[in-house]
Amino acid sequence: MENIIVSDSPHIRSPRTTKGIMLDVLIALIPAVIMGCVYFGYKAAIVLGISMASAVATEFIWLLCKKTKPKYILKQFDYTSLVTGLLLGLTLSSSMPWYVPMFASVFAIGIVKMLFGGTGKNIVNPAITGRIFAVISFQSIMIGGWLNTAIAPIDGNVITGGATVLTEMLNNGKSAIYLSNLDLFLGTGVMGCIGETSKLALLLGGVYLVVRKVIDWKWPTIYILVTGLMTVFLNKFDFAYFLPSILSGGLFIGAIFMATDYVTSPHTKAARYAYYISIGLLTAILRKATHMEVVSFAILLMNLIVPLFDQWFRPRPFGSTPLRERIQQKFINKGGKSNESK
Amino acid sequence: MLIQKDVKILQPGIHVPDNKHYTGEKAVEIMPASKKVYISMSQGIGAPAKAIVNVGDRVLKGQMIAEAGGFISANIYSSVAGNVTEIKDIINSFNVLEKYIVIENDFSEEELKMEPLKSFEKDDIVNRVKLAGIVGLGGAGFPTSVKMSPRSKVDTLILDGAECEPYLTCDYQLMLTKYKEIEEGAHLIAKALGVTRIKIGIELNKPKCIELFQNNTDLEVVPLQKKYPQGAEKSLVYVCTKRKVPAGKLPADAGVAVQNVSTCYAVYQAVINNLPLYERIMTVAGKGIKEPKNIMVKNGTPTTEIIEFCGGVTDETIKLVRGGPMMGKAMYIMDGFTKKMDSGLLALTKEEANTQMPTNCINCGRCASVCPMHLTPMNYDHFCLADRYDKAKDYGVMNCIECGSCAYVCPAKRSLVQSIVVCKTKIREQMKKGGK
Repeated sequence: MENIIVSDSPHIRSPRTTKGIMLDVLIALIPAVIMGCVYFGYKAAIVLGISMASAVATEFIWLLCKKTKPKYILKQFDYTSLVTGLLLGLTLSSSMPWYVPMFASVFAIGIVKMLFGGTGKNIVNPAITGRIFAVISFQSIMIGGWLNTAIAPIDGNVITGGATVLTEMLNNGKSAIYLSNLDLFLGTGVMGCIGETSKLALLLGGVYLVVRKVIDWKWPTIYILVTGLMTVFLNKFDFAYFLPSILSGGLFIGAIFMATDYVTSPHTKAARYAYYISIGLLTAILRKATHMEVVSFAILLMNLIVPLFDQWFRPRPFGSTPLRERIQQKFINKGGKSNESK
Repeated sequence: MLIQKDVKILQPGIHVPDNKHYTGEKAVEIMPASKKVYISMSQGIGAPAKAIVNVGDRVLKGQMIAEAGGFISANIYSSVAGNVTEIKDIINSFNVLEKYIVIENDFSEEELKMEPLKSFEKDDIVNRVKLAGIVGLGGAGFPTSVKMSPRSKVDTLILDGAECEPYLTCDYQLMLTKYKEIEEGAHLIAKALGVTRIKIGIELNKPKCIELFQNNTDLEVVPLQKKYPQGAEKSLVYVCTKRKVPAGKLPADAGVAVQNVSTCYAVYQAVINNLPLYERIMTVAGKGIKEPKNIMVKNGTPTTEIIEFCGGVTDETIKLVRGGPMMGKAMYIMDGFTKKMDSGLLALTKEEANTQMPTNCINCGRCASVCPMHLTPMNYDHFCLADRYDKAKDYGVMNCIECGSCAYVCPAKRSLVQSIVVCKTKIREQMKKGGK
């Protein structure tokens, strides 16, 4: 024993680290990656590879430009850019030319994450913003560039070059849904991006995250249920819309992996309830109004007002006056200032 | 037998591996007195005590050598018989300058007891506890006599036998062997407070103690599920009585008084056996200690001697901690001298003490979800780094009990407790300046 370390308490720490959590997210995405490659072939793997590689490269180059020592760069690498790159790749179509995932990744890591200060400092979800960047910048490629899965639907019609189930449903009502709920759930015959087709794979990943206590099961569930119920409400209580609306589009990947991103979601319980309920309502309402990129924009918009949620729905310290008594005090002695701190 | 529904649990809080196996079943060994004892004048919260002996005086074991320096302060007694050789300022193991009385032991073991009490009335007990210099032995070191004369009416006394800190087993050993004395002590405190209802909270990882107290004493045992920080005053009050201590107030404001079991034992010793407080049980444990032990140690014993008595430390030790691993203090140097409220001495190896560098906060909210006081530690960290102490106060930082649950669960390994302590200190400074 030569040197002893002095630090503040506590002197023991839990084994869980940021790196470990990110690794868990990567593991949870494996089923989605496998299903994506099964449905869309090697091209999907190439898109994912490009987006992940360019995400990591962007982070390293950024840190090198800031004259960080290479040894330290490797030490501080916590897989967050890998997760961002992978999630971004999963939200793109496998028919993309190579430069779309690359530019989207560079934007997501360089502008959205590193410019704001790296891990934990970004104000919006980098993967979502990267996808929105790609949609706006490469409109002709992104919109209408969806491919059918390699595996034919179990019961339903194959439509080539048409619109996705969600678009059809939103445009022409429930009669236009050309796939069964089972097909939507398994992703067979679904047109869409690499990761969002198989809801089963995403659900498996979500269960893994819940088991590993990375996310709470409540939050994605609330988001998905609220979206479904609100869609039913907007369609005059027609429950035929419930399952197709939650099983189509990017709702599952958005709810399980994007909206639950720690950095851009509120950090206390009450604020989280408010956040996920309003994000669900916003998704359903936006779907009624516009038919493209709804989940992405809903999450992006809500990300921006997370600090407000955190401020509004602050927990009260243990033992402070209960809400009912506070209201009574306020109304009974008007003008009398409550001595409770906020 | 325990019925599951009777078992109480604190709702927020964390599960920490308790690591009590090092010393759990080891009976208390009495450590031989050392040649020289260094007795600190600031033992516990409050003003330092004033020395009433001079260099060259001969003192006996159990003789008062310093008297309380204020209302919140306690008398200090010599733990050995011998000559006072020096009274000087020494930098202690936490890098703080403190006044010490150095007594050279002559091994005559001549003892001076306090005069037996004639009556056991309310005031007699409180005065005796005050005279004996008893402070809260759970770690905070708040004078017990002050706690025994609360300003508001108290109807329940709660004994803290939870010992939720990992590694520490000193209270466990005390409860196993001295349960009768603890019961007596609790009754004395209850008498002084004027209460009849006494509850004792014990965690389920001490089944023997629960049985002992249920079968042999008339205290009301509250079995608790293992969770940290269940032994913290406000949490314990809530799990045992479902009463919430108002924010910023003391347990007495909820009609409850809380005492540690070792404090009860000290009260018993002072009132019935007329012995002042100059020794205590201490747990010496951790992977770095070669022979972990529970020892009865005299006030002012050098820590180097304690470590030697326990076989020394291994080369892998990277951290020395006084007190429990969650709320204790890290020592700057190995030399140091024990105080009344030191419940443990731990040598932690790299494996146990996770000393990773902090990374950016990822806003996961784990700290807020485990906080027993329902606070938002990540905010205090931001505010502290931005010098916005007024904001931190608005967000309720003064309610923090510094239990360390937030920093324990933090995946980014941020020093949340440190930030909170800085905020609290700065706010107190500003309040003093503002004359509030």
